[in-house]
Amino acid sequence: MGNCLKISTSDDISLLRGNDSQISGTQPMYHQGEHYQRELYSSTSASTTRTPSSNNRQLSDENQVKIAKRIGLMQYLPIGTYDGSSKKARECVICMAEFCVNEAVRYLPCMHIYHVNCIDDWLLRSLTCPSCLEPVDAALLTSYDST
Amino acid sequence: MSSLPRRIIKETQRLMQEPVPGINAIPDENNARYFHVIVTGPNDSPFEGGVFKLELFLPEDYPMSAPKVRFITKIYHPNIDRLGRICLDVLKDKWSPALQIRTILLSIQALLSAPNPDDPLANDVAELWKVNEAEAIRNAREWTQKYAVED
Repeated sequence: MGNCLKISTSDDISLLRGNDSQISGTQPMYHQGEHYQRELYSSTSASTTRTPSSNNRQLSDENQVKIAKRIGLMQYLPIGTYDGSSKKARECVICMAEFCVNEAVRYLPCMHIYHVNCIDDWLLRSLTCPSCLEPVDAALLTSYDST
Repeated sequence: MSSLPRRIIKETQRLMQEPVPGINAIPDENNARYFHVIVTGPNDSPFEGGVFKLELFLPEDYPMSAPKVRFITKIYHPNIDRLGRICLDVLKDKWSPALQIRTILLSIQALLSAPNPDDPLANDVAELWKVNEAEAIRNAREWTQKYAVED
């Protein structure tokens, strides 16, 4: 927890608002009266400069370097094929599809497994295991040091 | 918008087939990423007896980023502000794609049982919660009766 106050004026509402416009024709989503709605919408318009999608497309140099480093690190995470053994997870928790025998899966240091595409997408955002939250890079860096 | 990911379809089916006690989430008929949510106030909390409406939206890159959730029903709680926005770690930096709509709503229900005034989103509420908890709880009960109990 923490830092909630700093970001309280920016994110959630604008996304919900964007969604709201797509489903016009249904009953109103906000039941708190006009004052409440005005307040909600004005906070949305105040944050128009912050559009997540454009931020994603214009990566800063710093971010590009960070991502390049991550991709480098991810290469060291072993890829195997799913053998259907009953001890392993049967479903990839990220896409919720069942693993097929001989399908490519990536092993994290904690031995949790995921589809390669699913976990790589996540590791670019956060170097942690989705299931146990174990940091992936710490384990990798110690294995570098020892060799 | 691209077609609905299988994960969202599966989560929705499971929510319908194995509903969580005290929690009801139904996708909007026109937008499968938008859910109408009802959470009942937990027993032995100032929100007991209340029926709270929330809205939940799965962003384009879900489950890589967290669902957006907001209370629609007014609620007196130190971690929920006047606009219904929720301060909860799993909705922000502690999000993981192993979490689901189900687990997020359970976390929100747990937040109602265990308000955390040391990590406030509604400053005035949190302040009162710290200096005069009895009065804060009385306010929360009053708001529950006023805004979250159907006549």
